[in-house]
Amino acid sequence: MQIMILFGMLASTYLMVIARRMPALIRGFRYQSAFLFLLTAMLAFREGHKDLYIVAGLILILKVLMIPHLLIMVAKRINLDENLGLFINSQLSLIIALVLTYCSWLLSVKLDFSYVHSLPAAITVAFSVVFIGAYLMISRVTAFTQVVGLLVMENGIFLLASSISDGMPFFVEIAIFFDVFVSVVIMGLFVYRINNLFTHIDVSKLSRLRG
Amino acid sequence: MAYLNLSKIFIFDPLSIFFLAVIVIVSLPSAVYSIGYLRGETTVRKTFLAWILLAFFIVSMGLVVSVRNIFLFLVAWEIMSLVSYFLVIFDTKSEKSIQAGTIYIIMTHIGTAFLVAAFMMMYKCAHSFDFMVVKNACLSMPTHERSIIFTFLLIGFGTKAGIVPLHIWLPYAHPQAPSHISSIMSGVMIKTAVYGMIRFIIYILGPGDRWWGISILAFAVITCLVGVIYALMERDIKKLLAYSSVENMGIILLGVGLSIYFLSVNIPYLAVFSMVAGLYHLINHAIFKALLFLCAGSVYKATGTRNIEKLGGLIKKMPQTAVYFLIGAMAISALPLLNGFVSEWLTLQAFFMGVVNASGASRIFLIVCAGALALTLGLASACFVRAFGITFLAKGRTHHSLNAKEVSLSMRSGMFFLSGLCIIFGLGAAYIIKILASVAGEAAGINISAMKFSLNNFALTLQPGRGVYLSTPILAGVLAILAITAFATYKMIGRGRRVVYNTWDCGYYKLDSRNEYTATAFSKPFRIVFSFFLLPFRKTQKIRDSFYHVKSFNYETRTTKIFIKYVYEPALSLIIRLAKFMRKIQPGSIHLYLSYIFAALLLLIFFVNKF
Repeated sequence: MQIMILFGMLASTYLMVIARRMPALIRGFRYQSAFLFLLTAMLAFREGHKDLYIVAGLILILKVLMIPHLLIMVAKRINLDENLGLFINSQLSLIIALVLTYCSWLLSVKLDFSYVHSLPAAITVAFSVVFIGAYLMISRVTAFTQVVGLLVMENGIFLLASSISDGMPFFVEIAIFFDVFVSVVIMGLFVYRINNLFTHIDVSKLSRLRG
Repeated sequence: MAYLNLSKIFIFDPLSIFFLAVIVIVSLPSAVYSIGYLRGETTVRKTFLAWILLAFFIVSMGLVVSVRNIFLFLVAWEIMSLVSYFLVIFDTKSEKSIQAGTIYIIMTHIGTAFLVAAFMMMYKCAHSFDFMVVKNACLSMPTHERSIIFTFLLIGFGTKAGIVPLHIWLPYAHPQAPSHISSIMSGVMIKTAVYGMIRFIIYILGPGDRWWGISILAFAVITCLVGVIYALMERDIKKLLAYSSVENMGIILLGVGLSIYFLSVNIPYLAVFSMVAGLYHLINHAIFKALLFLCAGSVYKATGTRNIEKLGGLIKKMPQTAVYFLIGAMAISALPLLNGFVSEWLTLQAFFMGVVNASGASRIFLIVCAGALALTLGLASACFVRAFGITFLAKGRTHHSLNAKEVSLSMRSGMFFLSGLCIIFGLGAAYIIKILASVAGEAAGINISAMKFSLNNFALTLQPGRGVYLSTPILAGVLAILAITAFATYKMIGRGRRVVYNTWDCGYYKLDSRNEYTATAFSKPFRIVFSFFLLPFRKTQKIRDSFYHVKSFNYETRTTKIFIKYVYEPALSLIIRLAKFMRKIQPGSIHLYLSYIFAALLLLIFFVNKF
């Protein structure tokens, strides 16, 4: 069961890599967060921790519902052109994503997590989600994708933490959720402001600002 | 509370007390002078700031020469450098000040970097910052390591001392500060570098290889000559004094270098004697250079310009300042009776004794050094004849000097005090040398009770019985008798008749100030003699009506600053080229920066996989 959920998470990440348009990207993020919610809920059920239930609930509320909704709202508000602007096209991106997954497998083997009693695949998936999040930030033009990429990386780190140590301390989790939510709000504002000032959110053109 | 124990923090041995005395002797008159100098110069708040900075500056220099801990030394050293940087850029409106400050702060930090490296090596050996522990640990250090430490210390302190070719900041930074600060910087601050050399090389590292002393001597000789030649060419009076400081640091380092040399060949008497000569010149230079800077500041305050070509005739407008400047100029030119003469006589004697005691190549080297020193002294006299003559004698050349007035009492009292010291340190040489001998003996770790440097309290001597004596009081008496005789003879058989001519009229009539000898003209012979080094550049431009009538004539001459052009500019352009190359990876694109991070991450993972 767990392996199915992990697979779903990886697949939704690949979906984001091949997405050309904003709604597809945000949908991919929503799926990924939903899989993360399932995984955490399963962990909570297995371990019987009350804290983990709360964390899972927060994932559901924040990452599956609120943040994607917020992103879509901002995108609508600024009449965004839905194209993401790909530096590297979908096919090549998918190949790179596969290579990154292979690298993360190599890494998880090398780092030797044998003392961890979760699935070895979980660590591989976590690493590759982090890498692919970073890759998304690099290879897409609009500032929006940078926000989503950061969120994807955060998901990956959460997965890594929960698979290595059965979840971080409760207060840390809550603090991170709060941070992520606030950062999304701030970045949404930023994207909005950038759009107002420059009438576009093409980050590659920000280089004109340098002295 | 052990770390609050004062004797663990401060070292008050004779060497430190000597340097503290130098600081006080120069700082007090400069502070008094600044009362008048700062009046009307800037706003009240800025004057207040100047006083605060001055206080910090003096305290930090005091700390540099009195702490007994390498770490604290470094902290005090940096405070001193930073405060003096702020004082250099005190005139924040002037572009030149900022530029001078930038050069200064860069050079001084290069120097400090070398010092830090040397101190780290010392700490690694001793596992303590305390001077005494480091001193003991250095005794058992391998020779090559000691040599590396010596080289680093020489570069580090040499930058502060302004030895050629690390001198370039000095002629920019010293003139840009307010004059009382220039006098403290030139008089004391660069001397802390000599303190550092004596403390760390002679006192802590102890006697080393022969080449240590020889290399210091070589640098010092070059410094002397380069400093004085540039001083001769300079038209800005404060810059001239700054170059002269470079020259005098060379002379001081000749004494210190000789001392290190004699320590390495194990002639303790001469080691102490040379260090005495160096220390004597150090305190003398502190006195007369401070005096000259104060006088230059007075001239600047009264006329508003530092270009000596625009001055002239100031002796009639500012007679007291002129007398003080003359005393300072005579002292720095090593004329008998004044203090500069004594110390430079001692330095030359140290060289002669060294020549007698050395053999082979080092003998020839010492002879060459002594010759170069003599040449330096001659050129220094020419330089100050020029500085005094063009500035104070002749007729006023521009409105700057025609409207000059004598400066205020507080400024004059500062100059009076220092010019008095010039005479005292000349006449009381035999007494002062005893004090200096104890300082030098303590610093070099040599027992001096059996050594004699003076006959009684009147005559200097080295190696009693050799017939080499110098007694300034007797010399003063002889000169006074000669002067009185000459004056009386003139009165008795002279022409009694007074004829008043124009100043510098040379037998013509109605020559005006534009016909007078200029500073550039005065230094022309030297420009020709040293043309291989100065690389003078001359441009003449004539506009003619006809073959016979020249309508206008332009003449332009300047010299090439050889070290800046052939050492620093290539280095700088290399750095700028590298920086431009590095700028290519900084295009300002967020994606690219993100991919740098990502690439670094992947590389690190690859690295982990490999090992």
